[in-house]
Parts: sequence; structure tokens; C-alpha cells
Amino acid sequence: MIPGKYRSVSGRSANNVNCGLHLVIQTSSLPEKHKVEFKLHRDTPSFPGRLLQHDLERNYSSRQGDHINLVSSSMPSFPILHRSSEEKILYSDRLTLERQKLTVCPIIDGEEHLRLLNFQHNFITRIQNISNLQRLIFLDLYDNQIEEISGLSTLRSLRVLLLGKNRIKKISNLENLINLDVLDLHGNQITKIENVSHLCDLRVLNLARNLLSHVDNLNGLDSLTELNLRHNQITFVRDVDNLPSLQRLFLSFNNISSFDSVSCLADSTSLSDITFDGNPIAQESWYKHTVLQNMTQLRQLDMKRVTEEERRMASVVAKKEEEKKRESQKQSLLKEKKRLTINNVARHWDLQQRVANSATNQDRKESASPPQDQDCCQTEGSTVSPLPEDTGAVDSGLSSTFQGLSVIDTHLVEVDGDTLSLYGSGALESLDRNWSVQTAGMITTVSFTFIEFDEIVQVLPKLKMKFPNSLHLKFRETNLVMLQQFNALAQLRRIDQLTVDPQGNPVVNFTLWKYYVLFRLSHFSMQKINGTEVTQNDMIMAERLFGILAHIASSELPQYRLISILGDVRKKQFRYLLETKGKKPGIVNEENNDSKRLVGENTNRATLNYTTREFYNEKLEDIKEKKKFCKMYMEDLMKEATEINMKNEALQKLWPQMFIELVRDAVIEIRNKNSYMKLCLQQITDQK
Amino acid sequence: MLSPERLAQPDHEYLAQRHVLTYMEDAVYQLLENREDVSQYGISRFFTEYFNSVCQGTHILFREFSFIQATPHNRASFLRAFWRCFRTVGKNGDLLTMREYHCLLQLLCPDFPLELTQKAARIVLLDDAMDCLMSFSDFLFAFQIQFYYSEFLDSVAAIYQDLLSGKNPNTVIVPTSSSGQHRQRPALGEAGVPEGVEASQFYQCLENLCDRHKYSCPPLALVKEILSGVQRLTFYGFLGSLSKHPGVNQALGALPDKGDLMQDPAMDEELERLVVRSRLHRTPRQHRAQEPGALGTQRRDKLEALERAPEPSRWQPE
Repeated sequence: MIPGKYRSVSGRSANNVNCGLHLVIQTSSLPEKHKVEFKLHRDTPSFPGRLLQHDLERNYSSRQGDHINLVSSSMPSFPILHRSSEEKILYSDRLTLERQKLTVCPIIDGEEHLRLLNFQHNFITRIQNISNLQRLIFLDLYDNQIEEISGLSTLRSLRVLLLGKNRIKKISNLENLINLDVLDLHGNQITKIENVSHLCDLRVLNLARNLLSHVDNLNGLDSLTELNLRHNQITFVRDVDNLPSLQRLFLSFNNISSFDSVSCLADSTSLSDITFDGNPIAQESWYKHTVLQNMTQLRQLDMKRVTEEERRMASVVAKKEEEKKRESQKQSLLKEKKRLTINNVARHWDLQQRVANSATNQDRKESASPPQDQDCCQTEGSTVSPLPEDTGAVDSGLSSTFQGLSVIDTHLVEVDGDTLSLYGSGALESLDRNWSVQTAGMITTVSFTFIEFDEIVQVLPKLKMKFPNSLHLKFRETNLVMLQQFNALAQLRRIDQLTVDPQGNPVVNFTLWKYYVLFRLSHFSMQKINGTEVTQNDMIMAERLFGILAHIASSELPQYRLISILGDVRKKQFRYLLETKGKKPGIVNEENNDSKRLVGENTNRATLNYTTREFYNEKLEDIKEKKKFCKMYMEDLMKEATEINMKNEALQKLWPQMFIELVRDAVIEIRNKNSYMKLCLQQITDQK
Repeated sequence: MLSPERLAQPDHEYLAQRHVLTYMEDAVYQLLENREDVSQYGISRFFTEYFNSVCQGTHILFREFSFIQATPHNRASFLRAFWRCFRTVGKNGDLLTMREYHCLLQLLCPDFPLELTQKAARIVLLDDAMDCLMSFSDFLFAFQIQFYYSEFLDSVAAIYQDLLSGKNPNTVIVPTSSSGQHRQRPALGEAGVPEGVEASQFYQCLENLCDRHKYSCPPLALVKEILSGVQRLTFYGFLGSLSKHPGVNQALGALPDKGDLMQDPAMDEELERLVVRSRLHRTPRQHRAQEPGALGTQRRDKLEALERAPEPSRWQPE
């Protein structure tokens, strides 16, 4: 069959009508009045639907139907059509019966050569009585009330079937129309594409303005060039890659929201023209470049030519998206790892706490039993409880699980903009790392989690030096139990904000803890504690509550103790400086000035220090040694003193007697003056 | 002082009773600890300061628990120091839990044992609901007798247990425990059995105890007074009334009477000065108002002289 192009033009005004297909049938002479020109036209194809809807109406508005006579037949339902023989000869192959208010197809008698039949704009409900027109090539039933495709099984020559604007619900009964070139079913109620697989010559399929919700079942349409699916409810499209000739696909005004639902389009090599406007996908920011990236064969998108520039942009954007996706994947992996590490650290911490608690309980139980070491029981009260060396099975069982856990990461260090987060006691070692000045300078918040506060205290000097801008400290699960521990924070340069999370820090349960912090760290002029602003009243209250403590601590301590306590603090600082080698003298002086300034600001508080438990226990050990020595020394002194005292007392007792005897002896001696004189002289001569 | 009984005692007994050796030993120990600093201004001055502070009761500040517990005078000084330092907390009206009081105690003595505080709390709360809040004065007086008479109380507890279980109270009871050890609480009387022990029997045992005891005991006369008022009493009831008895407090001499507990005009004055100073101190950092105060001026000057001392010379690295 010759695939022709169809176009109909009104009488004189040759409108540049956009036609879908241009099927042209050459006619012989054309009278002026009834000009129905069918011209061969190779034009860019357009929409048969539109043409047929708008332009034909325009064209034929003035046009009358062919001069026909409708004579009622013997059968009451079907009128019989007669044409004058003149007309028959003039227009032998075409018959126009539009706007004839037909409700049924009339019986067309004696027109077996008919090739074009036009029933537009009537009220026909069923296609009937045309089975005899076996030469029919063009059948136009646009704008009727047909509910079902039927009665076409004999029209084997049919090439153009126009059934637009009817009430057809299903595509069916097209089996014999194998020569079909144009099938127009726009404006119906079709819900599914089916029964078209045999139409291998079909070039234009118009299913616009139907009720299609998806597109599939398109195999077999090997010649299909144009598929119009506008104004449906399509959400996904399949099988388009099975259409080897498809060049134009119109999907405007449907319900497509992602490219995945039309992914088969990417595989179609023949597609060059596609429209998506009016779909949700067209509103997306990634719409254009996604389509262009996936359909590189495209030449027109939404009726606009695709430029090289656009294509390039699309690939660039696509690459960026790919990278972004990879990045986010990496990020999520990292986050997962972080989460696992933190969980691990938390478990470690819990285990540690339980071991420590069971140790304290065991300690208490041991001391409840008959007394053992009398001297150590004094100092090892339940607040200062080291792990006893000889606990039973409980401890060993726990410690073995301990080792099992250490295989995985046991600590985590994270820098996030201006926050440094440390999880687990192993993380404290990371402070020794070489931090770049820029990174270290940016850190304003340091957060400690799952680390013993005593351990944190030991690294505070390092923190002070390496992160000079850290103004906000956060503690969570750090075992802050005593108010005293806050004294340790005084050695920092400055703190603006302090956050102590109630979780894992029992000290927060005390009603006065904030006031104590404000009091002890008053020289920092802290702005916020646990998120709440510090008011003048708070500071005054803190001063009121604990001011006397400070006063007594500073003014009533004997001089030497004052020096020793203050000296202790500074000694520690100096010792730390010595340990970190390579420090220029300049820095030492700075430290010095710093500490002087500190001392100047809160003289009376400086004596309130905190020594971690281990240091304290070490000190106590030291003390024991010294005290033993002192005791021995004093005992010696005392023995001496008591001896002397005894001797003195004994002397006191004996002295009267001794004195009397002395006097008596002397008196007896001097009794006889003469003999005494002689005796004395004798003694003197003896001496010589 | 110059009574003949004094001379009748043998030397070591005399010394032991007055705890002279304890203080001498501690003085020597302090000397050892601080010999570099002390050498600066002479040993005689050191000893003067030391014994002055012993007299004033400031020698126990920030010392280890073993020292604070060593002599009754130490204990009394500690109680007084605690009162003076934290009177303001009580004045503020805050009710605190046992743990919070323990925290405050730890501020003055870092290794103060929790058990003592717990026992003191039990006296206030009558062994009930240990997490209850206590007022400052209640806690302080209970803590006073628990701490000052801790050995005595341990023995009394033992006696009470025996009486409860019906054992012969006149058997010799040697106190085996020192204050730090954990003691079983005497159980309250079961239902059906009348609570506590008979007062007169109890008193007799206590009388025996006080005669034999080498640790300090509350004055027997007062104990008699308390026990004569009731027929039967429980252990904690006895302790409670002991703590609340003003005579016991006066006999101890560490704390003022309950009514005057919140009064300390000298300290209040000082506090006001501190508050004002801190207010001025906060806004303009440079401006430090030097207010001449009646109390503590000398001390403050001393401290400031301290900070202006030639410290840098000490810390220059070689």
C-alpha cells in the first residue's frame, strides 16, 4: 500500500493546516463549489486529532453535505441512501454525510466503489451497514456516539480509520484491518492498549484524551512512527523500545513523575521527538538534564530543539549528581561506622562501671567481716575504692569480656566544624596529635563522652595549650560525682559555657551544683550552664552560699599551708611544662603571667583544689611513710623527755634529802674549827 | 592546770590523754612536707603558727580523714569549721539529701567516708527512707554526735543489739570496731514485741560502758536525764534525743545552740563585703575595690603580699 499523506482543505482558503497524516487521493476535475481537495503533501507531520477537531470544523462550517437524498426504506430503522447519478459520477469514490443528524448508519446502496466515507458530527451509535463497501480506504466517524468498534471486519482495504470523539471503551475487532495506516481514537474512554499487535503497517496511533493509565502491549507495531498519548493518566510507559520505527512520542499532560517509569525510552534508538510537558516530572529541577542525559538520541524535547549546549550541561550535571550520590554513600558509611564505634564505647563504659560498682560492693562486704587490716580501713572508705586485687570469679569473668571487646575500635575522635568530640578514654591520647593551627584554632566546643572525669582532669593542661579557643565544655557519662571535681576546671584559661549532661553524671542531681560551679569558677564569668543563661542573681547567690568557704579557706589557713597548697598547683603546672620539651622560655613566662593573673583574680578560691583519686591515694601512701617516721622520731624524743623528766622528778624527790645531807656534812665538818682549819691547809698543800 | 592529779599520772598516760604526741607528730610531719617553704621564715614561727591554728581549730581544713578523726579536739574543730563554712547553705533554707551533705563534707575533707554520713542521716531520718531531704540544723546536730562520739555509739549499738536479743548485758563488751568499719544496724522490734529496750536496763549498761570506755562519752548526767523520761526506747530514738538535747551540744562546745545556729555576725559582715566585691568585680574587670574590712584585712594583705612575692625567680627554667 502506498502510505500517502492525507490532508483536506476548505474550498478556497488553502489554510496551512497542520495535518497528522496526509492521505491524498487524486481526484479528477473539481468544481468550484464543492471543492474537496485531497493533495499529496509531504509535510512535517502533526496531529490528526487537532486537525480533525478544529480545522475540519472550520473548514466545513460553511460546507454542506453532499447533495444526497435520504429516503426512508421499507425497514423502519435504517434509511436507505440514494444519490443522483450525476453526483455518483462526479464523486464516485467519496461520500460525505456529515451533520446529517443521523442516529444510525444508513444502508448505502449501489456505491461499491466508494473509497472515502465521512460520517462526522452525527449521532451514530453503532457502525453498521457498511460491510459491502469493500473498497473503502478512508472512514471518518469523528464526533459520534459509537460505543464499540464493530462492523469493520470486511473492510480489508481500510487505511485511515478516524473514530475520535466517541464513546469507545475498548480497542477491539480490528483483526482484519491489516492495512491500517492511521488509527485515530482520541477523545474516547479507552483504558488499555490491546488488540493492535497485528497492525504492522500502522504509522500513526492517536490515543489522546482517553483513560489510559499505563502504556504497554506495544509489540508488533513495526511501522509506528507517531504515538500520541496526550491528556491521559499515564504513570508508566513500557515496551516502547519494541517499536523500531517510533520517532515521535507525545506524553504531555499525563501523570509521569520519575524518569524510571519511562526508562524504556532510553533504549529506543529511533525516538527523536518527545514531549513531557504537563507531567509532574516536568516540574522537577532535574527534569531536563535527566531526560537529555538518558536519551541522547533526542532532537526535540517539548517541541523545542535540543541544542548542543543543553546536552553538554546535562552530562555535566549528571556527573555531578553521580558524585554527590557517591559522596552521600560514603557519608552514610562513615556515619554508620561512627555509630557502631560509639555503641562499642558505650558498652565498654557500662562494663567498666559495673565492674567498679561490684568492686565497691565487694569491698564493703569484705570490711564487714571480722576486722583484718586495721590501718588501711581508715583511708579506704567507700568513696575511695580501688579495684581489690583478690576479687573472686565475678571480676575475672568480666575482665575476659573486656578483652574480647578491645578488638574493635574502643574510642572515637571527631571534629565537626567547631566541635571536637571525644568518646572513650582512648580518645584522650588524640590530644597529643599534631593538630594544624587552623583546625585547632577553630575548635570552640569540646565534648567528652564515656570518659572518666579523673582522666580528663589529667589532660586539661594539654587541652588548654592545644585548643586555646575552646570555650564550651560538655560532659556526658563522665562520672562526675563530687562537687570538688569542678575545682579541677579552674586551671583552664577560660570557659564560657559548661554543659554537664545528667546522664552518667550523678553530680547534677544535687540542687546546689550550679551555684558551686559559678562560685568556684567565678573568674571565668561564665555565660551559660547547661543551656540556661547565668544571671547576676545566680552569681550573687553562689557567692552567698559559698563565699564564706572561700574566705575561711584562704584567710584562716596557716601561712605555710597556704603556700604549700598554692605552690602545689603551680608546681604541677611547671612540671607539665618541663615534660613537654622544646618549649621556649617565652611561653613559660606567659604561663607564669597567666597563673599570676589567675591567682590575682580569685585568690581566695585558689586553695580549693581537686586531686584525682589516684593522686590522692598516692599522696596518702606517702603520708603514711612520713607519719611513721614522725611517730618514731617523736617517740624517741618523748622517751628522752620522759627519761629526763623522770630523772628530774627523781632529783626533785631526792634533793631535799640530798641537800640536808650536804648541809649536815658541811656542818659536821666545820664543827671543830681548829681541826677544820688544819684539814683545809692540808688539802691545799696536797693539791700543790 | 596545776592540779595534783595531773602530776599523779605517769608521763605517757598524761601525754596520751592530752593527745600531745599526736599534735607534735603532726607538726613534725607538716614540717617535713613543707620544709622548703618553712625554711624561708624560720621554724619557730612555723611552730607558733601551727599551734595557733590548732587552738583556733583551723588545722583540720583540707586534711586527710585519719588526722581529723584522731583527737576529740580535731573532731570538734572540724564540726565547727563545717558549720561556719556551710551555715549559709542552711540559712538559705535548702533541704538537701544525704549525698549532698556528703559532697559538702568532701569539700573540706576529700576522703571523708560515706558511712559516717549515712549513719548520721539515719539518726535524723530514724532509719527510714534514706533519700529524704534533711534540714541543715537537723543534719548538723545528728552528724555532731555521730562523728564526735562514733566509737561510743558503736558500742551502744552493740549493747542495744544484745539487749534486744535478750543476752546478758553485763558481760564484758570490748569494742572491737573502729569508727570506719561497717556495723550491722540494730533491727527494729518485730510486730507483737514491744519496740526497743527498757530504759533503766539500758541506762545501767551505758553507765558501765562509760566507766570503762577510753573514748569520749556524753556526760552521764545528761544520758540519765534522757533515759529517765521514757519507759522504753529504740536505738535511733535514743540517738535522736541525744542529738537534739541542748545540754549535749553545750558539753561538746563546738556548735552554738540550735536557736543561734544561723547567726554568725562576723562572718555575715565578711560575706556582705565579698558579695559587693564580686558584684563590682564582675562588670569592670580591672576595677578592684579595696575595701578596708574590720576582719581579715591582715589576712588579705598577707595573701596579696604572697602573690606579689618574687615568684618568677623560682620558676625560671635553668
